[in-house]
Amino acid sequence: MGKSSGEGRYIKGTTLGEGTYGIVFKAIDRQTGRTVAVKKIRLGKYKEGVNVTALREIKLLKELRDPNIIELVDVYPHKRNLHLVFEFMESDLEAVIRDRNIVLSAGDIKSYMQMTLKGLAHCHKKWVLHRDMKPNNLLIGVDGQLKLADFGLARIFGSPDRRFTHQVFARWYRAPELLFGSKQYGAGVDIWAAACIFAELMLRRPFLQGSSDIDQLGKIFAAFGTPRESQWPDMTALPDYVEYQFCPAPPLRSLFPMATEDCLDLLSRMFAFDPNVRITAAQALEHRYFVTEPAPTRPQLLRRPPPKPEGPPKPSELISPGGPVVLSPMSKAVRLSAVPGGDVHSFGRADKDMGKDPGSAGTLGGTPFTASRIPMSIDASQLVRPTLNSVDRSHLKRKLDMDLLSNQD
Amino acid sequence: MAANFWASSHCKKLLDSDEVGHVLPADQERGLTAEDVKLIKIYLSSYIKNLAGHLKVRQRVVATAIAYFRRIYTRKSFTEFDPRLVAPTCLYLASKAEESTVAAKLLVFYMKKIPPEDKGFRYEIKDVLEMEMRLLEALDYYLVIYHPYRPLIQLLQDAGLSDIIVTVWSIVNDSYRTDLILMHPPFMIALACIYIGSVIKDKETRTWFEELRVDMNVIKNIAMEILDFYENYRNIPEERLNAAMAKLPQSYVNAVGD
Ligand SMILES: Nc1ncnc2c1ncn2[C@@H]1O[C@H](COP(=O)(O)OP(=O)(O)OP(=O)(O)O)[C@@H](O)[C@H]1O
Ligand SMILES: [Mg+2]
Repeated sequence: MGKSSGEGRYIKGTTLGEGTYGIVFKAIDRQTGRTVAVKKIRLGKYKEGVNVTALREIKLLKELRDPNIIELVDVYPHKRNLHLVFEFMESDLEAVIRDRNIVLSAGDIKSYMQMTLKGLAHCHKKWVLHRDMKPNNLLIGVDGQLKLADFGLARIFGSPDRRFTHQVFARWYRAPELLFGSKQYGAGVDIWAAACIFAELMLRRPFLQGSSDIDQLGKIFAAFGTPRESQWPDMTALPDYVEYQFCPAPPLRSLFPMATEDCLDLLSRMFAFDPNVRITAAQALEHRYFVTEPAPTRPQLLRRPPPKPEGPPKPSELISPGGPVVLSPMSKAVRLSAVPGGDVHSFGRADKDMGKDPGSAGTLGGTPFTASRIPMSIDASQLVRPTLNSVDRSHLKRKLDMDLLSNQD
Repeated sequence: MAANFWASSHCKKLLDSDEVGHVLPADQERGLTAEDVKLIKIYLSSYIKNLAGHLKVRQRVVATAIAYFRRIYTRKSFTEFDPRLVAPTCLYLASKAEESTVAAKLLVFYMKKIPPEDKGFRYEIKDVLEMEMRLLEALDYYLVIYHPYRPLIQLLQDAGLSDIIVTVWSIVNDSYRTDLILMHPPFMIALACIYIGSVIKDKETRTWFEELRVDMNVIKNIAMEILDFYENYRNIPEERLNAAMAKLPQSYVNAVGD
């Protein structure tokens, strides 16, 4: 973040577009000479201060820094509106996929997937779920780099019991566990969406275009077969599980006739039904698909669509009148209520807090998806021998010969 | 919350004791001493906890709010930012950042309702919302804070000490009456609290601590800081607190953005 910040740092240019939360302007950063995109966050109708979605995006992007994640250059208030300054991005993957003048070679597709997965791997390493992966949110810079953007729906996961809303993602990119109402999903939801994008790059149209949640699952099962219990043991326990008529899987090759074996192998691992079996972003990047011929095209050599027409309406709407239905984001803050076993608990006296938390301590070793993956917070590089002796102990003990504050306030 | 503390902004922003203990020049000019500042911070940390109790928010929201509050006053003067407005606004901001938003209206309702109404806590919604923007700026928009609670549960399980969790949990709560959260990795604070708890409850933990092979000197220092709080700041005499609060300006100028 630079030394100066604020309205005066930027020379405002044309309007780039308008999203749900405000207008985006093109601007020049006087400090660096760089072209940027300034998103002016509209104030909420109600007296609720800074928009929660914008706050979430700021909070997470401040923790993420990666060549394949959009850079939040600056944030500043002006006339009571918060302004988010992003690096300027020339295009997005949706525009690439829809542009009939662009031929996508196998190497091009590999390059886009590699950049997408690198961005995702960084998010997941930092325990951030993107939750809104779709071609329109994968922006492309002047240097051809693809970057994950739109973190307004993203969440930090890693709380094993925290329940999330399943109303995330545009429907066509939604993983089956979400469609069955799972609220304890993990990084696998982003991988499923990335797999849909992978397929879309090959097909040049959205792969699974369901018209309702039920229909979406129908489309998924038509493509991959109805999952058997052995393939996905937890499926029947999901909140909105309904039984689908058995339908056998057609060979994947029949859906993607041009794809190589390596490509299909990775695709099928990303489309694994059971989220616990689904390949992770880090594993996917190690897959032989990225090693074998053809090599991924260098980003700067990727062909880009002509710069977007500037100003509203949104280009994506012009190109895809019947586009994916985006459910309204869950930005309207949900007041979390106590969940059995969750770490959501009422606040109060220490002993009251405690009454509930041992419950969550009890479940921690159990079922939740991330429990086994939470690393211990001990840094092996910091190890030193302990030096505590009995004198210290008795000294401590003497000092502790009083009851504790929290038990009495 | 996220388990990857080592890669977080919180980790990178950990401060030394002189960075948190110093009194800013503007505060010195008003006669505020290090001791006054300490009392004001303890008092308003308790106030945040109190207010949160009425609003029924989770413990982690309280912890985040207090961490914001304390972080802000390592950089900003008490003469520029009224702690009586900053404290409730930190709670408001933390409730959003921790995904359990409290309505501003409700917050202000309780600000007016709970004591001490007489000490200058008479702020309105618009004041809170203006302050929210200023706090974001003062925090440089870094909002992710890690806490000792989660590592605590894991560590106690690992030590086979889950039976003393009630005691240790309350010690962790009390650690927020100090600036420790700005200075040490949360798991180290958790370990220090376990250490104190095990001494109180007469649990043998020596071997376990040895096997962890963490720097016991640091753990000891953290424990001492908490003990110092219990010994010297558990019950702050009303006059001492009033004397410190009286040094704050009578009125503040609010300014947002340009
Ligand atoms: N970094 C950027 N560089 C260039 N243009 C951008 C950038 N970010 C956003 N835009 C443009 O501004 C428009 C609005 O972006 P915004 O992220 O607010 O909403 P959106 O993603 O289009 O819609 P939604 O709010 O529903 O997600 C985009 O469609 C795009 O045209
Ligand atoms: Mg978008």
